Amino acid sequence: MNLIGILAGVFARPDLWAGTLRFATPLTLAALGGVISERSGVVNIAMEGMMLVGAFFAVLAAAATGNVLVATLVSVACGGLIASVHGVASIQFRANQIVSGMAINLLALGLTSFLLFHFYSLSGTPPNIPALPDITLPVISTMPFVGKVIGTMNIATWLALLAVPVTWWFLFRTTLGLRIRAVGEHPRAADTLGVNVFQMRYLCVILSGLLSGLGGAYLALGVAHSFTDNMTSGAGFIALAAMIFGKWHPVGAFLACLLFGFGSSLGINLQGSGTGIPDQLISATPYILTVIALAGLVGRSTAPAADGTPYEVGE
Amino acid sequence: MSVATAPLEAPRGRILRFFAAGITPVLAVVLAIIVGGLLVLATGGNPIVAYQQMIVGAVGTPFDISETLISSIPLILAAYAVSFAFRCGLFNIGAEGQLYMGAVASTWVATTLSTWPGPPLIALAMIAAMAAGAAWAAIAGFLKARTGAHEVITTMMLSYVAIDISHWLLEAGPMTPANAYGTPESGPIPTQAYFPVILPSSILANARLNISLFITILAGVVFAWILWRTPLGYEIRAVGLNAKAAAYGGIGVASRMVIAMAIAGAFAGLAGMAPVWVQHRLYDSFSPGYGYEAIAIALVGKNSAIGIFLAGLLYGAMIHGSVAMQANANISGYLVEILQALVLFFVGAEMLTRWIIRRGGLRAVLEAAG
Repeated sequence: MNLIGILAGVFARPDLWAGTLRFATPLTLAALGGVISERSGVVNIAMEGMMLVGAFFAVLAAAATGNVLVATLVSVACGGLIASVHGVASIQFRANQIVSGMAINLLALGLTSFLLFHFYSLSGTPPNIPALPDITLPVISTMPFVGKVIGTMNIATWLALLAVPVTWWFLFRTTLGLRIRAVGEHPRAADTLGVNVFQMRYLCVILSGLLSGLGGAYLALGVAHSFTDNMTSGAGFIALAAMIFGKWHPVGAFLACLLFGFGSSLGINLQGSGTGIPDQLISATPYILTVIALAGLVGRSTAPAADGTPYEVGE
Repeated sequence: MSVATAPLEAPRGRILRFFAAGITPVLAVVLAIIVGGLLVLATGGNPIVAYQQMIVGAVGTPFDISETLISSIPLILAAYAVSFAFRCGLFNIGAEGQLYMGAVASTWVATTLSTWPGPPLIALAMIAAMAAGAAWAAIAGFLKARTGAHEVITTMMLSYVAIDISHWLLEAGPMTPANAYGTPESGPIPTQAYFPVILPSSILANARLNISLFITILAGVVFAWILWRTPLGYEIRAVGLNAKAAAYGGIGVASRMVIAMAIAGAFAGLAGMAPVWVQHRLYDSFSPGYGYEAIAIALVGKNSAIGIFLAGLLYGAMIHGSVAMQANANISGYLVEILQALVLFFVGAEMLTRWIIRRGGLRAVLEAAG
């Protein structure tokens, strides 16, 4: 069979598109958090670490309580907690935000692996932990193609899809959103007008932690149903890339996450479909697609003007 | 991205300045040890025993010192790759992929030309490592210069692609040996292409430390020399400090970005070659994340050749020491990753570190006074 025929066959699979949304879910949650944080002027490359912490404590809480709602709330809270460490360092103490973010990623990796060993030794996390439920839409799920794609999706996927317009509305249609963007573009001017720069930035950094924590909970309780060392395996960095790719805009970031999700899903659906391309090279698909798209279509993306610049009061 | 400046009055003289720059990293290490110790205590371990085992494991015997250096070498070289690009204002987070390319290229040269005599084969393998790393990194530099594609994304994506390519080459491609079984790996590096070991086995049995230590030291000298003693280095730093001003001053910003990335990639290529030339074979997924730890080391070392070398030694010692700590003190070796992260955090949050030390120091004085 020729390559075009194979591709047409793969594109006609509902699995390809359902997989796209599944892969895009944690990316979208984390990337939206990144957009909010950076719009307020705090560079956030720590989504990876926040997701990982969220995923670990999701599993720990799920095993301890047996309640998926509690587990999710715990994981969201832990995401927020580790984000506030980044906040204290980079807002209050004017740390280099790249360094602080990178440190949090490494800290999360070490801490979750250390605690995994401490709590579960080498046996792994317990098997029967509660899962984040799927939601089946009554009418749509019976439709021929669409039903198989979006008829039954995880609750976290729905939340991620909902979070995109909500984030857009929040940042671009509310007073608070306007203040956040003002703080990210020109904190001195915003401060002069009575906006509390530190408060806005803390709010945004912690919001990003909450969203990344939810993304981690989805990976642990919606996909893997366990926690393993470094289980986010770069999803937070992909989300970071999606945020830049989407030009620090919620909708742009979401579209970039969809592209990554599509690339990952395409890679999996192409494996064993007879293209003759080795699987190892097929799995590079999303990354190659991204480089091509970035170089060819998107071009320069510019961060908010005060992104990464610590603010000093009263100078 | 701004680099936080020390809230210290700059002391006069080079030596004083050097030590002043080192104060924060030292304080950061102290704080990291304290916080890590508290974590060990909280999880039911004995921090004194843990640290004792770690230090003894890292530098307790001449053999351990040699192994610590072996752990440090790829980290230091990869950190030069991160830092060199950083000096040009580029955040190269894809050293991991660049070092995979270096490892693959040098292994391919050595295993393919296995009948060549040693010296030219070693030289060619090193050139291949540097060229492959440089070429891979230069793609990101070129895309940045030509289309504005953000290097954080492109270096990271190219990193994943490089690793996938190495998987293919070793698992199902041309570098898979005919009689492959078990862990995917390349064929052996021919013995005449080995790096000479520094200490012969008559002095230190089984010591694996080879001349890549000298290559690493030389790389640090070259790093500093290019940046601070050549017109190219001046231009690269000018672009890094302010690309618009550099362009106004007549510097070709685009070409300097490509060259800076290529030089960075060459360091990474050597970083990838070094572990292969210890194990004498390229294993699948051979890197435990040298390229990512390198980012931390570049930052802790404050982007200076000496700082990076020292930070790399510290991180390498922790990595090698963690083996003995886990075995003898029964504490997860991941403690080391936590310590490394904390060092980085406290270096980055310099003001926080100094604030904690001041508060802590004050309390200690008050307690001593009763």
